[in-house]
Amino acid sequence: MRLPDSQLAVLEAASATDPTAVDRLADQTELDPAAVTRAAFDLRDEGLVTVDETTDTSAELTEEAHEYLDVGLPEVRLYTAAIEAGADDEPTSMGQLIGASGLGGPQVDIALSNFARKGYGSIDSGEVAAQPDADPDSDPEAAALESLAAGESVDDGDLLDQLERRELVEQSERTVREVTLTDTAVTALMEGIEAAETVDRLTPEMLTSGEWAEVEFAEYNVEADAPAIEGGRKHILRQTADRVKDVLVGMGFQEMEGPHADADFWINDCLFMPQDHPARTHWDRFALDVPPIQDLPDQLVDRVESAHREGVGDDGEGYHSPWSRDFAEAVALRGHTTSLSMRYLSGFAGADIEPPQRYFSVEKVYRNDTLDPTHLLEFFQIEGWVMAEDLSVRDLMGTFEEFYKQFGIEDIQFKPHYNPYTEPSFEIFGTHPTTGELVEIGNSGMFRPEVLEPLGIECDVMAWGLALERLLMLMYGFEDIRDVHGTLCDLELLRETEVVY
Amino acid sequence: MPVVDVDPDELRQLTGHDEKSDDELKDDLFNLGLEYEGETEEGFMQLEFAPDRLDRLSVEGVARSLRYQYGDDRGLYVPDTNDADWTFHVDESVPDERPYVTGAIVRDVNLTEDALDSLIQLQEKLHATMGRKRAKAAIGIHDLTMVKGQAYDADEGGPSITYKGVDPEGDQFVPLDSDEEMTPAEVLDRHETGETYADLLDGFERYPAIYDELGLFSFPPVINGRRTEVEAESRDLLIELTGTDQWTIDHICNVICYALSARGGTIEDVDIEYDDAAVTDDEYGPNLVRPDFSVRTKHLSHDRIETVLGVDLDQHTVLDLFERSGLSASVDDSVDADGTVYKVEIPPYRVDVLHPMDLIDDLGRAYGFNELEPRYPDVGTVGGRNERTRLEDAARASLVGLGFEDLLNFHMISADANYDRLNIEPGTDVIGSGEPVEITGPYSEDYTQLRSWVLPSLLMVLENNTHRAYPQELAEIGLAAAVDESENTNVAEWRSIGAVIARHDATYEDAKARLAALCADFDATLETPATEHPSFINGRVADVVVDGETVGVIGEVHPKVLVDHDLELPVAAFELRLDALSK
Repeated sequence: MRLPDSQLAVLEAASATDPTAVDRLADQTELDPAAVTRAAFDLRDEGLVTVDETTDTSAELTEEAHEYLDVGLPEVRLYTAAIEAGADDEPTSMGQLIGASGLGGPQVDIALSNFARKGYGSIDSGEVAAQPDADPDSDPEAAALESLAAGESVDDGDLLDQLERRELVEQSERTVREVTLTDTAVTALMEGIEAAETVDRLTPEMLTSGEWAEVEFAEYNVEADAPAIEGGRKHILRQTADRVKDVLVGMGFQEMEGPHADADFWINDCLFMPQDHPARTHWDRFALDVPPIQDLPDQLVDRVESAHREGVGDDGEGYHSPWSRDFAEAVALRGHTTSLSMRYLSGFAGADIEPPQRYFSVEKVYRNDTLDPTHLLEFFQIEGWVMAEDLSVRDLMGTFEEFYKQFGIEDIQFKPHYNPYTEPSFEIFGTHPTTGELVEIGNSGMFRPEVLEPLGIECDVMAWGLALERLLMLMYGFEDIRDVHGTLCDLELLRETEVVY
Repeated sequence: MPVVDVDPDELRQLTGHDEKSDDELKDDLFNLGLEYEGETEEGFMQLEFAPDRLDRLSVEGVARSLRYQYGDDRGLYVPDTNDADWTFHVDESVPDERPYVTGAIVRDVNLTEDALDSLIQLQEKLHATMGRKRAKAAIGIHDLTMVKGQAYDADEGGPSITYKGVDPEGDQFVPLDSDEEMTPAEVLDRHETGETYADLLDGFERYPAIYDELGLFSFPPVINGRRTEVEAESRDLLIELTGTDQWTIDHICNVICYALSARGGTIEDVDIEYDDAAVTDDEYGPNLVRPDFSVRTKHLSHDRIETVLGVDLDQHTVLDLFERSGLSASVDDSVDADGTVYKVEIPPYRVDVLHPMDLIDDLGRAYGFNELEPRYPDVGTVGGRNERTRLEDAARASLVGLGFEDLLNFHMISADANYDRLNIEPGTDVIGSGEPVEITGPYSEDYTQLRSWVLPSLLMVLENNTHRAYPQELAEIGLAAAVDESENTNVAEWRSIGAVIARHDATYEDAKARLAALCADFDATLETPATEHPSFINGRVADVVVDGETVGVIGEVHPKVLVDHDLELPVAAFELRLDALSK
């Protein structure tokens, strides 16, 4: 007969006369108890051992029970106080007895409810009468606790159940298996049993030679942890950007692209941002030390300058701010990707601009802000616009409601707002999924006539922008965006972050 | 965005709505576009709003808007003004850089400590916004009883003050928050407020100053004199504004006059007389009467209102909404158009209305934008991605499949990190050494230019993560840039692929194997002829040549570079242009 190593070891350790517990077999064979149990069942299936199962109940004292071992059960303390106060002769006020017994907090209720149950006396209208014949020294519950504390067993199941209801003991059950050799096993052992050869790895040679059929495969601990590996994965912010792009493409938007370093003309002037606007001062923009852009489209520049100075339309007024072509030609890092929208809407990017159109981008923008957990000097802006005849504020609201719904943000609100380039304008607010706070999740509006007319657009265009990082933080609850984006990123955080889908 | 502190009790009092709870007020304010940000120590509401309705920079203006919203006030309101007694004389010596002045007299103002605080706040907020931190407009408010006007025009005219240019080291006065007599130059030199605003007078030969018979009492745009300081007990005020644009200071003046009118003040005109040689605004000429409470008009068609709001409205409703926005409108029969056209009158405190479209926004707010039901526009378009980002995504998927962790770093970097720490110099011919696109006057020494390649960012990530588990195999596809005057923007921008393998046994071969796999995914022919590059170990570095063109570099990173990044294990790396993989 041939048996695997573990089964043979169990067989050799077991006895035909004395049932041996699995734990002891495990000690003797130096196998782990689970392996011994597995081997024992396999051997039983072969008719080589019998396995007897018994259930062992054990009871453990709770912390509360340990406390009572020191000071006595609350009801016993109440009874003792009652006797000392003479409540066996004449009912005594409960308040007085509780004071004398030193009971406090929840123990008062415990004492009162068990006092009557155990026949220590009665309580009526706040008066306690003690039963003179009661014998708290022989309280069975106290005795059972003493026994358990001394490591003795208590056989009275009802009593244990009662103590468990009082949360003084915790009972647990455990199956104990004992193994006994059968006659067949004894015979087989006398005849001799070989250990079957076990192999560690399946090799190409075994497969070609057919040897695989003769061998036993060593058992692995299949529950053990394997060494950690780090697969490659797309950056969490890129995953979020992909999700946004999917949604927008699904809603009929075409993707835009264009320069990060651009003329202030495209970044600000086309957007009807006055040249003395605070966002255009040195401290808010990243001006670049490169020559100005000299081949801006002249006619468009003239129309934009005229919009700034005179306004557009019969009743239009311009800004009372300085305007110079030099500033328009200066190159800076874009503060928003609306510069791309301007390039596209003007036809300069070579795109078709006959209505209707929908365009978007998810690209980086640069703001000279103070770095903190929620602000970076460069971040991704989601930018989108819809061009059509006769668009209304309701179309704008419907579009954004649909967009945010895709990210689980329902019930968005529109707060009237002001941007130099849109009118009407709205900040979009949504409810934070975890904190329930109302938070700003976007800025939107209909492009002003002073933006559209110089570009030659004769229909309506609605647009909106939103920081991708803000959406990510809302969706995933990151607290410090610097852990994710930039060279201070934490590889462990990136490795552990749940994927976006 | 501006934040204005408003006492909710004053708001209730000024609106006449004692019954409104704080929460009700907050909701009403949100609908006006004022967002409750929190509470000050005194229990004032901090309201944040966009800088268009500058007339709402004080509790008086917010209350006025609420009264219109509640329907308590309707239509256009212009306060009466009394005829001018005072003259503001602009002397020809006035600095050319700051030639304009305007103002008003306000009498019998019911000032209290709270009202004075509100006035000071209004002044500060107007300075910060429309005044462009006082560069464009500066406001001075004085106790009129402390100003001794000199008779204008010899003995004939009423009292006057004079705006002129003075020698910085000339006359002395005692500025606010000081006990000491100083010249204007001394104020800039050692008075706290003077130091703050000294930059505004850089390059001025003469400093702006305002005089009465007793001498210099205001030093715009810096500080007033202590003599004319306004107290809660002051009743008659002199308001003067100076700046670089007449329209701007006139309109700021209107906002202040409306606020003081709400405090019971009576507005009195002033005559502004510019000397012949003084600079004047062509539109207005040298002789002005201020404040300018003239009413502007704009025209708006009924159809356009319905289109933009997306709802059907009858004429009566539209006229009602105009009135509830503090505007007055009538149907204009003189316009020969298909539909109804409204002629809308706009009060002089509205600095934000540039186009009739701005009036539709007012109507929408009065109607309640949140009353509008969203609808998905019935417009069909075809969506799609552009080729460049599709290529980028495909390359990123290949790199991730090869086991690289995809990273995302800043495009801005320091010259030290971009060149020096990689052992290269700008403007040489090795990969990564492109001419820097530098930020003019950078804010932070860590971000002084755009990166000219991606590897420096990846090495910094390795440097900042030496406490994390190895191997670290990182890749990034991102922007790199260099000055290139053949480009439309004078900046060449491209997407670059960078990859690093940091492992105790990383070699050139590991990098080459992965680069070859990447190129194979795009059916691109890769060759790696030996080259020299100071960032890499000599003899273990090659040009990345794709389809016959040199597009990058591959090799084992030089120990000098590793040590400089606190790395204690070898790093193999490659970098190439993304567009090398396109068809």
